[in-house]
Amino acid sequence: MSAEAKKEKGIFGELYDNFFAHSWHMWIGSIVLAMLSIFLFMIASPWGSSGGLLNWGQNLFSGLGLSLENSAPIAGILEYRYAILSILVIFGALSSALLGKEFAIRIAPGGELAKGFLGGILMGIGCIIGFGCTIGNFFSGWAALSAGAIIFVIGLVIGVFFAVKYLLWEMEKHPKMSSGKSATFLQARTKGTSLQPLAGLIIVIIGLALAYTFNDPVLFGFALIGLFIGIVLQRSRWCIVRALREPFMTGDAEPAVAIIAGLVIGLFGFTVIKIMGIGGELTMVAANFWMPAIIGGIIFGFGMTIAGGCTIGSSWRAGEGHVKLWLALIGIIIAAPLTLEYIRPAFLNILPAWMKQQIFLPNYFTYLGSIIIMLLILLIWYIFVKWNERTGRFSAM
Amino acid sequence: MVQADQTLDCKGLSCPMPIMKLAKTMKQMENGQILELLATDPGSKPDVPAWCNRTGNELLDTAEENGVYKYYIKRIK
Repeated sequence: MSAEAKKEKGIFGELYDNFFAHSWHMWIGSIVLAMLSIFLFMIASPWGSSGGLLNWGQNLFSGLGLSLENSAPIAGILEYRYAILSILVIFGALSSALLGKEFAIRIAPGGELAKGFLGGILMGIGCIIGFGCTIGNFFSGWAALSAGAIIFVIGLVIGVFFAVKYLLWEMEKHPKMSSGKSATFLQARTKGTSLQPLAGLIIVIIGLALAYTFNDPVLFGFALIGLFIGIVLQRSRWCIVRALREPFMTGDAEPAVAIIAGLVIGLFGFTVIKIMGIGGELTMVAANFWMPAIIGGIIFGFGMTIAGGCTIGSSWRAGEGHVKLWLALIGIIIAAPLTLEYIRPAFLNILPAWMKQQIFLPNYFTYLGSIIIMLLILLIWYIFVKWNERTGRFSAM
Repeated sequence: MVQADQTLDCKGLSCPMPIMKLAKTMKQMENGQILELLATDPGSKPDVPAWCNRTGNELLDTAEENGVYKYYIKRIK
């Protein structure tokens, strides 16, 4: 923006700049997202991401006439709250990217696109094996005091660790994978007035109009909050992959600290809702302790790291126009229903009961004890990332 | 405008590839040399300054031209 235009900036220009001129700190995103997840829990059930994408995939398969016996959709896309949430998140991210003049169709080199698709397939498998993704199983599962959530995160870290090793190896030995022809379309022009903010405003209005078409109050609530979630995700570039990856890569502790801040808020919010009986005690506590959680976590963690976004990170980056993450979403949508049909039943069959338990920590340690356990683990995580940031002990670069 | 010794094209790439390539390329440069980094990922706007800050390399200048973000980074160490 020219100096002249800056001088003339009115009160609305200032308002715009406050929200859309710069990215927000990731911890602001985390705090708002934790609050929105608490709202969702009060309306029906907390934030989740893979369930909606699974539903898209199931409807796609049944729409194509391929009926899956164990993996039939529980409802149509516009009848299922998490499927609607997933749509509106992408809408929100698209509108936010446009408003911030950051939207463009970005086609990465072929090797990158392949990693996006493959990463999506692995995420689709991992989230079904592990009974959830980084949102339902981790961001919400942690706050829900699920023991499986702790195990799932351990799995994620293992998967991320090996994927970082892979990425470093690939860059050294096969630099062609991430270089070559790329293309960018529809980006905002630097000179003159960009139409992107106007287009963004129109998308917001379409999103709101879409939300108002739902007569069911729960579906309406999920649509409306989904739109806000998408905006917050894109503005704060909220990314669980970064939180888990950076200690092994650049050493940057900020993304991890941001996620920890959101988890602390979620912990207290969810607990109040559960104790007061507003929401069910076992909500977001999956029967994945410990084998499904660890295996699902490892596969998911590897997939999200080579794709460069988990289910939700892929969703908002898809809205921002990264074609690599479109392919990641397609991978998830294809792999999740097939895993539910052909892999998970057989996998669960061979596991003895003690390897696939639903463990709600307060049943063993009371609510207070469980919260202390979760906070202590977060404290240890915080100390580790900050210590590592200063010493670079585990960081490759 | 800053004169760069080398250009690193990261157009089309999304997180974490631009930062990984930046770190690798900077290692191979001489002290005092300047790298021009081209990227289209909006994530590079917060990430590149943060990386420079953490590693002690100097971010001399940034520019934006039709969706391409340009960074001029001097190797210091």
